[in-house]
Amino acid sequence: MSDSTVPAGESTRVGSSTEERTAVSRSAQAFRQLKRNSASRAGLYVIGIVTLVALLTTIDADIFDYQFAATFWYHPENDPSGGEILLPPIGIENEFGAGNWAHPLGTDHRGRDILVRLVYGTRIAVQVGLLATGIGMTLGTVIGAVSGYYGGWVDDVLQRFVESLYAIPFLILVIAIMSAFGRELGIAIVGVSITTIPVFTRLIRSQVLSVREMEYVEAAKAAGVRDRHIIFRHIIPNSLAPVLVQSTLQVGVNILIVASLSFLGFGVQPPTPSWGQMLAQSRQYMIVNPWFSIWPGIAILVTVIGFNMLGDGLRDAIDPRSND
Amino acid sequence: MTTAGYIGRRLLQIVPVLWFVVTVTFVLINSIPGDPVRILVGPSADAAAIEAARVQYGLDQPLYVRYVKYLAAIATGDFGTSIHYGGVPVTAKILERLPVTLLLLVSSFTLAIGTAIPLGVFAAKNRNNRYDHLARITSLVGVSTPSFWVGLLLIIVFAYYTNLLPPSGLVMPWAPPGSVEGATSRLDVLATSASHLILPSITLGTLQMAAITRIERSSMLEVLNKDYVQLARAYGISERTILRKQAFKNAQLPVLTVIGIQITTALGGAVLTETVFNINGMGNLIITAVRAQDYQLIMGTTIFFAIMFVLGVLVVDVLYAVIDPRISYGGADE
Repeated sequence: MSDSTVPAGESTRVGSSTEERTAVSRSAQAFRQLKRNSASRAGLYVIGIVTLVALLTTIDADIFDYQFAATFWYHPENDPSGGEILLPPIGIENEFGAGNWAHPLGTDHRGRDILVRLVYGTRIAVQVGLLATGIGMTLGTVIGAVSGYYGGWVDDVLQRFVESLYAIPFLILVIAIMSAFGRELGIAIVGVSITTIPVFTRLIRSQVLSVREMEYVEAAKAAGVRDRHIIFRHIIPNSLAPVLVQSTLQVGVNILIVASLSFLGFGVQPPTPSWGQMLAQSRQYMIVNPWFSIWPGIAILVTVIGFNMLGDGLRDAIDPRSND
Repeated sequence: MTTAGYIGRRLLQIVPVLWFVVTVTFVLINSIPGDPVRILVGPSADAAAIEAARVQYGLDQPLYVRYVKYLAAIATGDFGTSIHYGGVPVTAKILERLPVTLLLLVSSFTLAIGTAIPLGVFAAKNRNNRYDHLARITSLVGVSTPSFWVGLLLIIVFAYYTNLLPPSGLVMPWAPPGSVEGATSRLDVLATSASHLILPSITLGTLQMAAITRIERSSMLEVLNKDYVQLARAYGISERTILRKQAFKNAQLPVLTVIGIQITTALGGAVLTETVFNINGMGNLIITAVRAQDYQLIMGTTIFFAIMFVLGVLVVDVLYAVIDPRISYGGADE
């Protein structure tokens, strides 16, 4: 990215006027603006760390069956033999004992280390957040582009369909889907991506309606280019900036939805750790060890804030007027 | 066209949407793998009992017949009976729970709008000073926090740690004094009700508050930069008067849009809030229904959630038309 930034920026200064060059320099300017914004930089760091953790834990969990964690730390799914239950974090004491360095954030109701479970809960949050957003964004973008480009009855039918998806509150819709097809993680991903579709359909459709009238699209049509080519090669790429912003924000929203689902008992099942499920389990122990209820929430909060800060930064960079 | 006519037309538009919702729910519930009758009668029933139940619930008929019958039944307000609650009509169960959830929704939205609008205006007025930054950070944290976690924290602090407010349940303000523990008069009931309502309303309202604060702030800033506001400033009209007379009302349209979008979030949030505080409302009902695999009840509650949502959006749309005189009700006599 940084390689292409420099010449593109210079070309603006000389006053290049070709369509392609201004497009490049605009995104280069946006990138520079993004780097200057400390909030979005912080968001990028958070997302980077969280994604890295998710990647490493996924490798350990799915390929090595938690061997790495079990060797160097504690097994995230199993109870340690003779493990002390409901320990508080370091420096705090409760009726079960004093916090110690063996379990920096304390232990849960079965004596499992909370920190290890938090770290391994990252992969569920990131996996589902990214996957569900990716699927929903792709389907929503294609439906919206087709709908906006063709107009007429195609538009009418697709819009009614999408509006009706909107009419069921999204958490209720996912719950209904999961009550029908099962409470597994895969169904949760499908359910959340279905609720994501309308967000992108609306967004891209309004973009397409304005891009559709542009001269280059008309020129392509006049030259006999096929519709499919126009939609995928011209219209969608030219409408992507707001989609990028929205999908960054949507990952945060979807991570919250998935955590809510796990909290209600839908989604990944015990003993696999997930943040929402840890919060659900902690409810019974709020009096004796409130810390058990505090940590998973902080993990969710930090991750979602990361995506929101980057999303806000991206929006400001792409459309400086929206800043304030 | 009159306002009443507009509302009537919008109510008619709701019908196809609800039909679609019913169809989606029906298809979803009927694609559940396994035999619902076996779940109904329990594992110990013999073949004859299973067959009898199948006929009793009409499950021996083909799917499209059941679909048409279901549509016809719900058109008359009959959503079937709940197995989990021992054959009680689903409609009765829902109507019993509905006021609880509505009370929770209204009080959380009141709280959210009541704090967010002053906060947003204040932040916009003091743009880029420390109060503005504080408001921005608060709303960023607010939209990023899981609401049910806020509920857990509030319970820890206000119920278990300081013992100020009750950790669970909800008392309706119109409950007869005799039915409420320790209450002898209407005033006692109201006080108990309010103390039960505070924590759940904050829990449910946090996200809405944060989202509305954000849009209020940016919308006010946009209006304050408009030419006509600059002109008013140039004429020497005080900033206070400009805010009150020129800027405020014009900035509220995007805010209303966001409030409309928040309704769907709030309905999902109600499910979570009712779970956290053990409140017996619609949210708890749908979770109970799903856990018990009570299909009629799942369908009924889902459809009622959709109805609440669609009516909520209708209210926002009408307010929209009231605030903005440029939006016509779609009549030709404009």
